[in-house]
Amino acid sequence: MSDATSLLLTFLREAWVALAGAFLAFALLAGIAQVLRVSSASVLGVNLWVWESVSALMSIVVLGLFAFLGIPQIVNALQSSLPGAGGCGPISELGTLASGLIGGLAALRMLKAAFTSMLSATIGGASSFANALIECGEAFFGMILASAAIPLAAWFLGTC
Amino acid sequence: MFDPIMEQILAIARDAWAFMAGLLIVVALLGGLYFILQGTAGMAFGGSRMTSMAIIGVVGLVIIVLFAFLFLPQLGEMLKNFQPKPPF
Repeated sequence: MSDATSLLLTFLREAWVALAGAFLAFALLAGIAQVLRVSSASVLGVNLWVWESVSALMSIVVLGLFAFLGIPQIVNALQSSLPGAGGCGPISELGTLASGLIGGLAALRMLKAAFTSMLSATIGGASSFANALIECGEAFFGMILASAAIPLAAWFLGTC
Repeated sequence: MFDPIMEQILAIARDAWAFMAGLLIVVALLGGLYFILQGTAGMAFGGSRMTSMAIIGVVGLVIIVLFAFLFLPQLGEMLKNFQPKPPF
């Protein structure tokens, strides 16, 4: 069981590193796209486009900081609330596997939501931006629910 | 496992960055030419407001281009330093 856990967590960790790298690359591309829009709008004299682009640029910076500084802290805080081993024997191993997987999947889901938010902020898609933030909140509450469900499952299946 | 995919994505992103940086230079040069034309026309016709707006436009354009080429790489370096390890 521990081998399966470490294999799955290694896979999720590699996915995290890849997603974080892609996030960084796309954030920079989004930034230069917005600057290009600012320059063309200022030449054309379109004030609204300039302000839209400036606010989009700010939102990209804020989302980048949230993704790289906020999400790991949230995941660490929630993962510490997940009970790792709610019993003994196979239940304990299953609890460890479940808590590790829940933490990894929720972290990846939140980073993916931040990635989608950043892309939506770039193209000005307000609805998909809101949906991505809702997805981030869903992952958050899913981890809170899991922190209550794992001890209940251990109690139901029998503890030592 | 994801390294080959990441290399492909980063290669595309690098190409896109070079393309957009080139496009920004072209747009800035065209914009600068337009503002210079506006300024000289304003000077020829005695339109002081037109000339001053053109000068402000050129200065703004230079600031935007400098912002793009100096601030964005620094922002990327900062975010790269903040790039978190997997928190699980």
